[in-house]
Amino acid sequence: MQSSPSATENTKYQKEYCEHHAECLKKIQAVLDGGATEDEKDHFRQNMDHCLHCIKMYHLEKCVKESLQSKIDKRLCPDNLVATIKAKLNI
Amino acid sequence: MSVIMSEEIEEIPLAASETSYSDTERNDIFNREFMPHINSMYNFAFRLTMDEDDANDLVQDTYLKAFRFISSFERGTNAKAWLFRILKNSFINDYRKRSKEPSKVDYQEVETTYNSEEAAEVDHTTDLRVETVQDMIGDEVATALNSLPVDFRTVIILCDIEGFTYEEMAKILDIPIGTVRSRLHRARNLLKDKLRTYAASMGYDTDED
Repeated sequence: MQSSPSATENTKYQKEYCEHHAECLKKIQAVLDGGATEDEKDHFRQNMDHCLHCIKMYHLEKCVKESLQSKIDKRLCPDNLVATIKAKLNI
Repeated sequence: MSVIMSEEIEEIPLAASETSYSDTERNDIFNREFMPHINSMYNFAFRLTMDEDDANDLVQDTYLKAFRFISSFERGTNAKAWLFRILKNSFINDYRKRSKEPSKVDYQEVETTYNSEEAAEVDHTTDLRVETVQDMIGDEVATALNSLPVDFRTVIILCDIEGFTYEEMAKILDIPIGTVRSRLHRARNLLKDKLRTYAASMGYDTDED
């Protein structure tokens, strides 16, 4: 995964607003999902150097994704269901 | 939106060629390749149906079908994706029809609606803060997820909770990778809308600095 840019160091960034935010957001999501093409990765790296808006989107997307992964309870299969399935299949 | 899935979809992924397994091999595949995924399968079923009894039935039906059609499974390939596809198709064919969930829409209609020119892209960055999402507890995030139409909920579960790749999701959902990506994008925008609305209703700070 790419290094995480800091939104607090905003003085070095040139763009406060990204006119291509919808397209950039799709690329950011692909990067976070591990499914970005090489072109998308290049675009991501370049934008992370100068676009504050894209950096903010990156942090929000990352946070939402991590919250889904870590905060939502994983429901475990009840033991009796496993037993029922095996009994029905006689295995 | 109209609602009806007029035709049942094929539940078992077709293999290039079927394999004739002995009873011992069938049991071995079932125990070693299928059963290790049962907790993920149950979690997926519960997130789809949002009901423990329905999740039980759905997982049971899926595993019985998987065993019955085990000759369509190629040993050593991606059993988890194969099982998830059967479960998802069983859900569409058997459970979604009788679900009372109001947001039953067919996949094509979902794509058409949310990919239309009229569905303007909203900038979600300016009104939902990272800190707000970080402060939310699991139940709050789950409530937002559960409020999404099932088609959108499904892609988020597969990608963000189960960690499937785009390619695996394309196989599970039987759609092109480009459609997986666009559906995920729409789903996440909807989810952020729900999180923002919920945060505002609960008094979280949703304004930008």
